[in-house]
Amino acid sequence: MRTPGSPSAFAWAAALALAVIIPFFTGDYVTSILTLICIWSIMAMSLNLIYGYTGQLSLGHSAFLGIGAYALGLMAVKLHLGFWPAFFTASGLSALFGFLIGIPALRLRGPYFVLVTLGFACIIGVIVLAWVDFTGGANGLAGMPRPNPLPLPWGGRFAFDTVRHMYYFVLFFLVLIAFLCHRIIHSLLGRTFIAISQDENLAESLGINTMGKKLMSFTVSAAFAGVAGALYASYNVVISPDVAYFTRGMDVVACLVVGGAGTQAGPIVGTLVLMSIPEALQIASHLKTLIIGVILLLFVIFLPSGIAGGFKAVFGRSRSITGPG
Amino acid sequence: MAQACVYILLASGLTLVFGILNVPNFAQGHLYMVGAYIGFYLVMSSLLDYWLALVLATVALGVAGLIIYFCVFYPLRNAPEVNLFVAAMALLMILEGIALYFFGTEAKWFITPLSRRVLSFCGLALQVQRLVVIAGTAVVMATLQLFIKGTTLGAALEATAQQRQGAMLCGIRVSRMSALTFLIGTALAGVAGVLIGPAVLLTPTMGMGPLLVAFSAIIFGGLGSIPGAVLGALVLGLVESLASGYVKAAYSLTFVFGIMILTLLFRPSGLLRKEVWRP
Repeated sequence: MRTPGSPSAFAWAAALALAVIIPFFTGDYVTSILTLICIWSIMAMSLNLIYGYTGQLSLGHSAFLGIGAYALGLMAVKLHLGFWPAFFTASGLSALFGFLIGIPALRLRGPYFVLVTLGFACIIGVIVLAWVDFTGGANGLAGMPRPNPLPLPWGGRFAFDTVRHMYYFVLFFLVLIAFLCHRIIHSLLGRTFIAISQDENLAESLGINTMGKKLMSFTVSAAFAGVAGALYASYNVVISPDVAYFTRGMDVVACLVVGGAGTQAGPIVGTLVLMSIPEALQIASHLKTLIIGVILLLFVIFLPSGIAGGFKAVFGRSRSITGPG
Repeated sequence: MAQACVYILLASGLTLVFGILNVPNFAQGHLYMVGAYIGFYLVMSSLLDYWLALVLATVALGVAGLIIYFCVFYPLRNAPEVNLFVAAMALLMILEGIALYFFGTEAKWFITPLSRRVLSFCGLALQVQRLVVIAGTAVVMATLQLFIKGTTLGAALEATAQQRQGAMLCGIRVSRMSALTFLIGTALAGVAGVLIGPAVLLTPTMGMGPLLVAFSAIIFGGLGSIPGAVLGALVLGLVESLASGYVKAAYSLTFVFGIMILTLLFRPSGLLRKEVWRP
């Protein structure tokens, strides 16, 4: 994707074309699964920014997902805001939370940061469940808005009332965020993130304000996770505290690591693989956690750079941009 | 108090494993849950004596710990530490999956001869099981302390935690020590599970709350220090019960977590540890 016409740019274009035409050949069920895959890919991309490229493992992304989803829901249901104001406020709120929790958390390194993010995720999960008056508790919150119909240039409107139209809506955000991530990674800022992930002390000694850059990475990452949450709420119409449950954050880590942390295709590939396997096998949801855990463990032990990383090692030229792997 | 004892056992296991492997073992809470369920099945289905079940479940968890160490952490011993965190997280997911699938989602009552008996003492009702938990914890912790401070093997363990390379130079087999630590850590989780099992409801997610409190406790007391873990567990156990008594039970974790954040911000090495973490 670096230069137009390169093999990877071609692969991305082909993947996008495939993603656009697939719903015409499949039923609503497959399309709805694809929509969820897109949403979780956005989550994995969001985590990729802070973990894959900046090297800080966050187990707390379920919290940002939950904040995004509930912020959209509460603003639309209780404050009767329109879809777009609620959508942008939800992402902004998620970013704000990321910023605020990032200030204490990112000062810490290694296991301490992981623990704080895990703790944060658990706390948000508990609050969503316990604050019944505000969030509806275990019953969840219903009546999420769908996006307003878009007027089409040739007349008529594109209403988001069918599964397929929602899929395109989510896919649009997936492409947008993938593009944003691509731009970030290939900018000076992105290089700085990668420098931090490789050696934080060295980066600091070069005059990089590592704390500021990490905070920036974490805030943007939280904003993307908030977008994913808002999309999820809007797509699903009903949300329950399940969205903010901490294992959701772990699922995202699993998707990213299996796909390949610190690669651009990794988040999408990993989510696609990990979400397709349980669907293909038609297994009970209880067994899903087990299978994802086992797959993740095998990857961590035998192929820690993930599918995309392994692919690159086998077929790719040596590339200048890689995360910690 | 009984709850605080569980935190003590979990936190000691966590802090031991952290001291040697430098991994926060996220699966510790779920190992505790598995311990409780093993005890439950041994007593309720096999009709074994509670004490025998306690010993068997502890041994089973210890063996599970060894298997986990040699299958997961030993192959990863030279990997970047973040990979170890992800591996520990994967273990958590696997154990949760196993529990959801095999033990079912509905809560289970673990009934033993002692769990139903209640002592009245000066108008206070006291579940006998809770006394068992407290006594059991005291015995286990005393044994652990004797083992670490009083035997050569314990000294080797402590040496490995303090200075890995130094211990290696002295001829201590570091990987064996790591395996032993893992065994002790998971066995402690098993003891905690079987001890508290009859006093609470068993659910596949019962381990997550105690895990979080235990993590906060070891951070509060100082990672890698057993006295710190005990102190932290007692303090946070108290904070948790005060918070659930005066505010709302569901929010008590928030207070515990708040204390963890404050500790990390103002005294990141914990109360009972002087050096700051390794770079």
